[in-house]
Amino acid sequence: MAHQAHAYHMVDPSPWPLTGAIAALLMTSGLAVWFHQHSMILMAIGTVLMLLTMYQWWRDIVREGTFQGHHTPPVQKGLRYGMILFITSEVFFFLGFFWAFYHASLAPTPELGGCWPPTGIFTLDPLEVPLLNTAVLLASGVTVTWAHHSMMGGDRKQAIQSLTMTIVLGFYFTVLQAMEYVDAPFTIGDGVYGATFFVATGFHGLHVMIGSIFLAVCLLRQIKHHFTSGHHFGFEAAAWYWHFVDVVWLFLYVSIYWWGS
Amino acid sequence: MAGRLLLRACTQTTLRLRSNVVARPLHRAMSSGKGIPTDDEQATGLERRALQALKQGKDPYSMLKPKEYAGTKADPHIVPSIGNQRMVGCVCEEDNTAIVWFWLHKGDAQRCPSCGSHYQLVHHELPH
Repeated sequence: MAHQAHAYHMVDPSPWPLTGAIAALLMTSGLAVWFHQHSMILMAIGTVLMLLTMYQWWRDIVREGTFQGHHTPPVQKGLRYGMILFITSEVFFFLGFFWAFYHASLAPTPELGGCWPPTGIFTLDPLEVPLLNTAVLLASGVTVTWAHHSMMGGDRKQAIQSLTMTIVLGFYFTVLQAMEYVDAPFTIGDGVYGATFFVATGFHGLHVMIGSIFLAVCLLRQIKHHFTSGHHFGFEAAAWYWHFVDVVWLFLYVSIYWWGS
Repeated sequence: MAGRLLLRACTQTTLRLRSNVVARPLHRAMSSGKGIPTDDEQATGLERRALQALKQGKDPYSMLKPKEYAGTKADPHIVPSIGNQRMVGCVCEEDNTAIVWFWLHKGDAQRCPSCGSHYQLVHHELPH
């Protein structure tokens, strides 16, 4: 049998990078078409193509790792580096919005009344729903750690229960935040306050939804016995991402909701 | 594809509802104790071969840092190879930027043309 003498994974040719690139093209040009020609069809095709690409590409990775055994320790190490680098890039993404917030709020312009919060803005009480949201995300950080330890200890029932609880808490956060959005006394158009508030918390909420989906996929895989007690990097990546989402919220809460109120 | 997924979801749900009559065990037959399999039970393919070899103290896929040898006639650098020759790059002294490349052949130990360290090719089999 002809085999490789190294532990790395030389991946087979795949169409998904191409479909992903085409999806990105259609989504961005579709966005421009939507703005100028009031037609959403190109953007919709691009989005569908992106979702199909994501599903099939990640499905293939699960097949290569779990079912075919290509994810040897060195390959797994590479995946870890990859996830860490990706999360780092996301940190920088959020750093930009925090920069915008602090730029606007540390030296408020005369147009705002020279004060922060700006004149006429009624901020949300940080001790109400935002504090509950903080508790919800912190608790979800505990449950996801519980899930990890259950997995390492081989406990299937507890791993499934704690992972489910994590997803429920994430969903609860999303619902609470959506309600806050609907009932907020200010909008994204309300000056730099509204802009920084909704862009920063909005992108955070998007990341909560993405993280919840990632965890849900892990739950499905755990139920289907994909993970072993020693090798469950997909779950670890989801947990890292979830902790990142939690930390971003803590910064948002302290900066925008609390200090900024 | 979506049709197949929907069909599979329906049949699986029906089967599960039907099998609820029988008490379903929490553990699968193979997994140790509490229901999550170990690598030993479930790893497959190259991952399995690599892990099993490591357990026996072997490293056929060169995952670990190579062992250090003195490079003398009595303690030559051992170079594992799946064939009859392998390329060797000798960094004669630490921090040298000019690497001395040469083919190491099966048979007697060879010496680096620059610093004279001894290298010995040793055959190793890939697990399969």
